[in-house]
Amino acid sequence: MVEIFINDRSIKVPEGITVLKAAERAGIHIPHICYHEAFAPEGSCRMCLVEIEGHLCLELACATQVKEGMKVFTETENVRQARQGVLEFLLAEHPMDCPICDKAGECTLQDYYEQYGLFESTFMEQKERKDKNVPLGKGLILDRERCVLCTRCVRFLRDITQTEELGVFERGVYSEIGIFDQRLIDNNYAGNLTELCPVGAITDKDFRFKTRNWFLEKGASICPLCSRGCNIFIEHHPGFARFDVPKRVYRITSRVTSREKDQKEKGYWICDIGRYGYSYMDQDRAEKIVLKQGDSALDPKKAVTYAADQVKKLIYKNKLNRLGVISNTWLTNEELFLVKKIFTENLESQKVFFPTTAQREADDLLLTSDRTPNKKGAQEIGFSLEAISEGQVFDGTELLFVFWASPFDLDQLTGLMSKIKEVQTKILFTPFEREWNKDFDLVIPTAVPAEKAGSFTNEDERIQHFGPVLYSPGQARAEWEWLVSLGKEIKVDFKSYARLSSPFDVFQMMKKKIKFFGK
Amino acid sequence: MFRLFGYFIEIIRGILITARHFIVNMVFHILNLFGIKTKRKGAFTIQYPEQKTEIAERHRSLHRLMKREDGKPRCVACMLCETVCPSECIYIEATEDPDPEIQKYPSTFIIDLSRCCFCGFCVEACPEDAIRMDTGEVEFAQYNRKDMVLDLESLLNEPK
Ligand code: SF4
Ligand code: SF4
Ligand code: SF4
Ligand code: SF4
Ligand code: FES
Repeated sequence: MVEIFINDRSIKVPEGITVLKAAERAGIHIPHICYHEAFAPEGSCRMCLVEIEGHLCLELACATQVKEGMKVFTETENVRQARQGVLEFLLAEHPMDCPICDKAGECTLQDYYEQYGLFESTFMEQKERKDKNVPLGKGLILDRERCVLCTRCVRFLRDITQTEELGVFERGVYSEIGIFDQRLIDNNYAGNLTELCPVGAITDKDFRFKTRNWFLEKGASICPLCSRGCNIFIEHHPGFARFDVPKRVYRITSRVTSREKDQKEKGYWICDIGRYGYSYMDQDRAEKIVLKQGDSALDPKKAVTYAADQVKKLIYKNKLNRLGVISNTWLTNEELFLVKKIFTENLESQKVFFPTTAQREADDLLLTSDRTPNKKGAQEIGFSLEAISEGQVFDGTELLFVFWASPFDLDQLTGLMSKIKEVQTKILFTPFEREWNKDFDLVIPTAVPAEKAGSFTNEDERIQHFGPVLYSPGQARAEWEWLVSLGKEIKVDFKSYARLSSPFDVFQMMKKKIKFFGK
Repeated sequence: MFRLFGYFIEIIRGILITARHFIVNMVFHILNLFGIKTKRKGAFTIQYPEQKTEIAERHRSLHRLMKREDGKPRCVACMLCETVCPSECIYIEATEDPDPEIQKYPSTFIIDLSRCCFCGFCVEACPEDAIRMDTGEVEFAQYNRKDMVLDLESLLNEPK
């Protein structure tokens, strides 16, 4: 630990960190554009200049290491002028496209001009024209006029993905970002460039011109598309009073948690599968409870009673071994726990089956081969996923509960459909309106992970809690709600369900029962 | 009894106010008639809608969208008017224009006049001077709300 003084405030920081980081610890913001926590300092933008006592000229906060007794000043007249000067040069050739720039509203340059600039432009010359629509591959578009040459993008592709598609070409004022010889960017992390670029120079087709980012609300959630469980923001449009917006979710962005900051190469990014795979939240959603025997308006209570009655029939006939369940690892820990509690513990059914989902290719950064969010959770709760085979679950089964929350892996259920159809009574819990829904006796609409609270256990055995970001459409409710009401209605163990009114309650119960979750 | 008395007092007061307006205005009109200049003019009635007054220069009336020289909308779909509008009556969807000089233009532009409060903020906010409220059109009552919703086409080609 060394003691340094920032604006005459004494702070103690570990040796070897930079002035910029030290200032951040003290809650003092030093403007920076090219510096990014995940990379080594580059020192190309000069926005982070500060005054250090005893030094002849201003120093780069992002690249200068702290020394015992160092006196740093971040708000002196010299520093203020230097910042203004840097901004003036950055903006000299800047197109000022803000009205049509997707970054406007979250643009570093805009913010810094507001905070540290506010000068009148003194340049009378025509601005230099450059290419405004250079395709970079994977739907990314480069606008060279807006680029401030911070080289964050180059460094990302060099250090993190190690694919090195982008580079700086030419020299001096002619420098520009580009790809080499039509070799387009093609890696699963390219989408991060849009977030990484401090200005609107790199945009992607998916979000480009769709809306303005200040209309969007950010909700913290967990990406359910692979077992890594990256932390994300779901950015959604709350809608207008008079007009329907075409969709709710407009983009997914990464959410950096302090815990992940330590793992530089992993913590800041999300993969493109998670980033662009959000359309399932709005497409083909099941909104109504559908009972095959044509009771048109079915309220949730009746639906649960119907399901519970089917179970009770088996109980009276003492034929509980004819009860089967097809579950999946898209359910949260809490929901899987309830599935286990109701079907395995209360009803003593041994037939809880998890269809094997296809293993896909993993990469060595984040994406895992298991593309469901909660396999670890299911294992910790006590399901051994391969113990029950497909044959066993259909063997003599008269009543089948199917939970199908995955928007993908459609082949898996299609493969089972011929057998499912033969079962006497079958009940489906799903968030989606699919072809096979009509083959079930009762279809209960459920919520996608973005619409429910709960937790997933990721690949690294980390239990990650999340809350609902969106409302579930129509009659759809999260599986845990349905399961709790079902548990109550079956009345085998009424008391313990009566106490459960949120996933939090369920988790408290799990904590007591399962050591892994009690940690 | 006392209350009834108060009732008559109010009626008499009303009559007196009307009489005052009548006499004061008549005096001004008569003075004007004889060519005597007064500070104030006598009040008069316009037979609207047969007769109309001139609209002031800085008025705010029905919106219109401006065109570029080649007839394309000047609007770049920046959605600042949509953002600033306190009545949430503007709705815009943007598309990519093949011309790299334009890049973005509105494919949908809707103004719901039945919500509009004619504050003129949209005009103030527009960085392209693409929306104006200077058509002089102030009579657009409709029989149903649907007809009060203007789309891109009609906004561009206003006034008739
Ligand atoms: S990069 Fe920033 S300053 Fe430049 S046009 Fe876009 S929003 Fe405006
Ligand atoms: S494209 Fe963006 S990230 Fe890359 S150098 Fe230019 S400003 Fe920096
Ligand atoms: S005048 Fe005001 S209320 Fe009407 S469209 Fe413009 S901003 Fe909205
Ligand atoms: S503010 Fe002007 S340019 Fe922007 S969307 Fe509205 S009318 Fe178009
Ligand atoms: S942040 Fe220090 S030079 Fe760019």
